[in-house]
Order: sequence, then C-alpha cells, then structure tokens
Amino acid sequence: MKNPARLQTLAMPLALIGICIFFALRESAFIGPRNLTQLLVEFSITGTLALGMFMILLTGQIDLSVGSGVGLIGGLAAVLATQQAWPAPLALVAGTLVAVILWALMGALIVRHRIPAFIITLGGLLVFKGLFWLVIQNSTVPVTRGDQDNLYSLLTTYYLPAPAGLVLAAGVLGVLGLAGWRSRSARITHGLPVAAPGTLALRWIAAAGGTLGLVLVCNQFRGLPLPLVILAATAGGVFFLTRHTPFGRHLYAIGGNEEAAVLSGIPVPRVLITAYVLMGVAVALTGFMTTAYSGASTTTVGDLMELDAIAACVIGGTALRGGRGTVFGVLAGTLIMAALLNGMTLLAVAPEAKFIARGVVLALAVWMDVRLGGGHARA
Amino acid sequence: MPPLVEARGLTKRFPGVTALRDVSFDLRPGEIHALCGENGAGKSTLIKLLAGIHPHGSYEGELRVAGAEARFHGVRDAETAGIAVITQELALVDGLSVAENIFLGRLPRRGARVDWLETHRRATALLADFGLDVSPEAEAGTLGIGRKQLVEIIRALDKHSRVLVLDEPTAALTEREVDVLLEHLRRLRAQGTACIYISHRLDEVFAIADRVTVLRDGASVATLPRAEATAASVIRHMVGREITDQYPRRAPASTGPVLLAVNGLHVAGPDGKTALQDISLEVRAGEVLGIGGLMGAGRTELLLHLYGVWGTRTAGSVQLRDNAYPNPDPRESIARGLVLATEDRRRHGLVLGESVGFNLSLPSLRRFTRAAGRIDQAAEHAENQRMFHALRVKAPGLEARTAGLSGGNQQKVVLGKALMTAPKVVMLDEPTRGIDVGAKLEIYELINRLTCDGLAVLLVSSELPELMGLSDRIVMLAGGRVGGVFERREFSQEALLAAAMSRANAGM
Repeated sequence: MKNPARLQTLAMPLALIGICIFFALRESAFIGPRNLTQLLVEFSITGTLALGMFMILLTGQIDLSVGSGVGLIGGLAAVLATQQAWPAPLALVAGTLVAVILWALMGALIVRHRIPAFIITLGGLLVFKGLFWLVIQNSTVPVTRGDQDNLYSLLTTYYLPAPAGLVLAAGVLGVLGLAGWRSRSARITHGLPVAAPGTLALRWIAAAGGTLGLVLVCNQFRGLPLPLVILAATAGGVFFLTRHTPFGRHLYAIGGNEEAAVLSGIPVPRVLITAYVLMGVAVALTGFMTTAYSGASTTTVGDLMELDAIAACVIGGTALRGGRGTVFGVLAGTLIMAALLNGMTLLAVAPEAKFIARGVVLALAVWMDVRLGGGHARA
Repeated sequence: MPPLVEARGLTKRFPGVTALRDVSFDLRPGEIHALCGENGAGKSTLIKLLAGIHPHGSYEGELRVAGAEARFHGVRDAETAGIAVITQELALVDGLSVAENIFLGRLPRRGARVDWLETHRRATALLADFGLDVSPEAEAGTLGIGRKQLVEIIRALDKHSRVLVLDEPTAALTEREVDVLLEHLRRLRAQGTACIYISHRLDEVFAIADRVTVLRDGASVATLPRAEATAASVIRHMVGREITDQYPRRAPASTGPVLLAVNGLHVAGPDGKTALQDISLEVRAGEVLGIGGLMGAGRTELLLHLYGVWGTRTAGSVQLRDNAYPNPDPRESIARGLVLATEDRRRHGLVLGESVGFNLSLPSLRRFTRAAGRIDQAAEHAENQRMFHALRVKAPGLEARTAGLSGGNQQKVVLGKALMTAPKVVMLDEPTRGIDVGAKLEIYELINRLTCDGLAVLLVSSELPELMGLSDRIVMLAGGRVGGVFERREFSQEALLAAAMSRANAGM
C-alpha cells in the first residue's frame, strides 16, 4: 500500500518534468516568459475549478455539470455587464449568487432525494448548456464594452507590478516557512515524528527557489497574472477548510466510510450540500476567469472543463471513491493537465489529436487511481 | 445402509478461535435432523463445511457422503454430491422469473438459444408437483419470503439434491407459512430426502425432527432421539457451562438516577413491518443493563433505534436523562450524552483508511473547534493521546492507520471514539466479539470504570456467560419483544435461554 502511493507521489513530478522537457525541445518558446505566463493563467483557471471538484470527490460524489456551469455563469455575468450595463462588480456578484443557488439546488436534490450525483449533474450539464445558450442568445458577448477595462476584463488582463509580485511572493514564503516551523515544533511538543531540520529547510529553499523563479520569469513579461493570485487564495482557503476545520474532516470521513460518518453524528446531508455550494463558487470564479480570458462569452466556453478538473484531481492522487487526496496533489495534477494542453496548442497539434490525448490522460489517471488503491476502504 | 452424511471428528480452526472441535454427526436417509445451539456454537461453521465453503484441507477430521469420503473444494462439489444449502439470505435473483430462477445457470437450450417453451413447461410441472400456485413467469421479487424459500427448495431438488440444509428457514415466516413449509418437508422425507434443519424455535424442532443434535462451544455434546428431546433437556445441553470469575463485575456501592427509560416502545423496520414490540426497560447511573437474545431477536435494532439510525417509532416513549427524546438522531444523541459503539467495527465503526487520531476525535470535533471554525489541533491531539493511553491501544501511535490494527485494538478505538464525546449513557453492541482474551479483560475493566464514574451502560452480548458476568440486570429479547427481565440473583443460563426462546409462546 505504501510503496505504490510513494510511487504516485514520485510519478507526478517526473511526468511534469518529462512533459516540460518534451515540449521545450520541440518548441523553445514553451519555456519563454510569454508562454509560461499564459500557461500559468490556464493553470489557474483549471486549478480553481479542480479545487472545487476536489472537495466533491473527497466525499465520493462527482459533478459533471461544472463545464456547462462555467459557460453559463461567465455568460450571464457578461450579458449583465455589457448588454444590461450593470457595473462589472455587481454583475460578478450576481453571477456568483446564481451559481450558489443552482449548486445548492443540485446538492439538495442529490442528498435529500437520494438521486445519484452522476445523473443529477449529467442533467445539470445539459440544462446549464441550454440555459447558457439562451442567456447569450447563441452569440458572442464581450465582457466589456468597447475597449474600456472593467473589473471583469481585468481578471485576466491585470498583472501585478514587478515589485508587488516580489513582495507578495516573499510574504507567502515567509508565512509558509513560519507555518512549517511552527507545525514542526508543535509536533515535537507532542512527541510526534518530524522531518530533520535540514530536510525542512531544503524543502523551503526549493519552494522559495521555485516561487521566486516564477515571479522573476513572469516579471520578464508583464508581472504576476491576477488569476494566479486568485488560485493561490482559493488553494489557501481549500487547504484551510480541508486540513483545519471539522468540515474538512467530515469530507474525508464521508468519503472513507459514510456509515461510520453517520454513526459518528456527522450531519452528512449538510456537509454534502455545503460541498456543492462551494463547488458553485469555484464554478463562478472559473467562469469569470475563463470568459475574461477568451475576451467574450461564446457557446464553446467551458466545454469539457469538467473532465479536465476531474482528471487533474485524479492525476493528483484524489480517489474517485472518496476519502483520499490533498490540495497539493490537485495543484500538481492540474499543472500536468495545463502543461499538456498548452504545449499541444503551442505545437499547433490538430484538435482531433488533442481530444484523443486528453481522453488518454483521463483514462490513464483513473487506471492509476484504481491500481494504486483508490479502493483503500477494501484494504 | 450407510449414513447419507457422516462427520467424524471435525475440527475447524480460525486464527484465534476454534469454531468446531471434534464434531461427530450423522444424517440418515429420509431423516430430518435438527441442529441446536446458541449463537456461535458452531452451527454455521458446520454448514459451511458441508456446503464446501470451507474447502477440504482447511479442517481436520473426515466428512463422508453416502459412505465415501467427500473432498469438497467449493460449493459446486457439494452440489454435485447432492447437498443443497438454503440460507436465510435467499439466493434468488429478484428481477428474474420463477422459471429462470429454478433453472439458473442451466436453462434448457436448443442450439445456442434458450428453449423458453421447455423452460416454462418444466417449471410448471415442478411447481404443480409441489402444489405451489405460482406462475413460472412471475418475477421472483414479487413473491413473499415463504414462497421464495419453496422455489429455492424446488430448485435444489431439481438438481437432484439428496440432502437439504435449511438454516433458520422460519425466521421470517408467518405461522401459516411455517406450517406449509413443515408439511412440504414431511412429504419430502417420505420420498427419501434427508434434511438438516436449524432453528431456534424449539417447538418447531420437536414438531418435525427425528433426532436433535446439540452443539455447544463448537463441540457436539448430545444427539437425542425425538422421544428424549424435551425443551428442558435440549436447553440443559445447550448451556452447561461454568461461569468463572473471568468477568470481574464490580458494581458501585449505590446507583444513581434513571438515565434512560424506555416505555412500551414499538418500532417498525425499514420494510414497514413491526420489528420491536412493547419494549420497556430502564437503566440507572452506575448500572450495566445487559440485553440478550438469540440472533434476530432485535438487540442491535433496539440500540440502533435508540441512537437514531434505524426504524420508525410507532408507539411508546423514550426518556433520556429526564427529557423526552421523541426523534432520535445521532448528532442529537451525542449532544444529549447517548453514544453507541457498533458491532461491526470495520463496516460501521471506523474510517479504515484514516489514522487512529482521526477516528478517535471524529464525533467530538466540535469540542476542539475555535474561532473561524479552526480545529485546535494541539488540544485535539492532547485529548486523543489521553484516550489512546487510557485504553492502552497497541498501535505505533495516533498516526497509524486503523486498517492495520488488530480486532481488539480497533475495538478500543471504537470505544475511545464513543467515550471522547463525554457520554452519560453508553451502548455497547458486542464489544468483545472477535477479540482476544487479554483485550476482552481490558474491556470488562473499562466497563467497570465507566459505571464507577456514574455512567449507565447498555450491553448487548451473544455470550450468555459474559452477559451474566457483567450485567446488573438482564433483559432478554425474543422475536422483537421482551422475553423476560432478570435481576442478578435470578441469573441462570437455563432461565435466560428459555426466555430467549419464548418467542413461540408469545404467539408471533
């Protein structure tokens, strides 16, 4: 059990490095600041959605409707901001509220009426797609009027000024270091095994190197893209929720053994509906970012994103049966998916081949999940 | 004529338990032979041996069928030898027709396709033979349990079975269905089919059996011809165990107020049928109330219902610490100080993929939650650590995965989980099942400590000596009703067992 799991944690960085080397050799622009910035934006968009999906998968549920939802919510906000001339912030808030209501509704149907999530969210996929096309009238709705900037368009066009990026990175690294050190001393106080100080320092130095390198590369282009900041905030939030709150424990417990969870007095329905509501928020954020990234809402926005999100989670070690997975795994899995898609686009791979590649990656990820103990409850 | 089935010196060991020791048993042609024994006496193990589920080589001793040694390596071998086992969990496919079920796996064929005409013709003939007024095209799922059982018997007989093994066939039948079944068995006996009949209902056993074999603690203690088999003699053979001081009950000097009182409780199960009838009991602070009964008497269902996860209350009331508790729910139960440690710890008790610490604090996370919903992990850890040591859980530490622990240590984690909620009334369902003697003793000690601390304990156990050794009072359940209530001075295995078997007298 332990070895295959370790294999998986090793396989991920290796796969990522392999993919990067492959694309860099074929097209050196892949590792240029411009493309890397673009890659980071795409990573951030998929990652935000995957983090929402992560909490759903942890409980052993699934959500297939998020791709259509991304299109719908992004389109709705675009229509409100331009055709209805609402202030952009208000349009975004309204879109988020609609997403929360829709996902609360789906969650309630799944939990209270015991309809399998697979079916409800498959229905959601179709219904949201239809609503989406109704809302945008099968046309192209830009996120802003003319070439003025608004909050909506700035979501993917704003870059943090170089010094601000550096300050932010330093701050994040400081917090990470402090948290790591404090958690280590706490573990020592409680007599738990800890990593050697050297290992911890090495890990931090690696993280620091990576983060600073990232900022420096981005600064060579335009600076840190705003979506990356949104993703970082989302990841921080989801990490806190899953690791440090009863809600997070409950997600793991429900996915690990729902009957034991019920008997332990966990309010399973409430926890599941909350997970779906949070998924709705992630869908809204992703919808805004991805629509802004395209510049306008068109009928294809969000297509198949549900599969990218699920694949990212599963590649990152989240069990489809629930009960297992980490935020860092999800981020790593997303990075693999994003690098793959971005590289293929850069190499101008035919769309046909891209579909096939995505499908193969998804199947491979699930195969790994099954092979490497996705069924841990039976162990 | 040699016996149809003969067992000589059968011994079957499981890790840590000897389920059968030197069992001898024989079944003559055209005989109905009843097997009696308490829960865990070895009846199921013996049947599994006969059915080929425990294959040849996994046991010691000899099994002979029609004079020749039988070496079953699987269920198919037993079927070939003519032994058909019909268990309580019927093996019919509900979505298929009666005819398809009868010929499941061997549907008559014409070439590559199923010969449906032949299937229905033969099924009709078999059903008519049996006097069973059922269409062969009816979906099996639409039949009642009694008729399903008869369909299974028809299927077994059509496979040329000479030996029918019926495990608790009447547990779910109505009086009328029982009569029909027994009538069919008598007819089959007259035609030469032999039958091993297992039932807790002694009146039924005496009505049909030619001989009765009693198992106790895995050994065959007596085989009585019908003339000698009386309720008193069978029960005497079923118990007859010494109670030693391995159950160190130390009741506190005085008991406190009534913490849980149940009055005239009627509960309908998920299938809508009445499962518990007119249950009344009470337990005081510092007391252990034992709840006994045979398999299916409703012990576990009672605990699950009180806790709030099973059945619908149709009448009666529950008072928990002087407050009415009409709509139980696990979360609410825990908040009110009522907690349950479940029987099947792997299925219901633990999140096996997670650590000991994760499981221990799972029901009590609210206690450790601080501002912004953050869990105070230091406080949680300290409390987990305290419980871990108090229960002497043998594991590498709080971070060890529960899947890797032994049964006794898993059980301790389940108990620890319950105790961490700071309960007032603790319900323990088979707390010592499947764990070793040392761990058992620790759990007995723990129960004593709980009552000394003023807690009330409801203890369900299948082992009468354990129940008698640990309880201050015992309620015996029989068929979902109270079969008898006993004070400590009235405890005797005979009396308790007679109360547990009083179901037939209660007129269900």
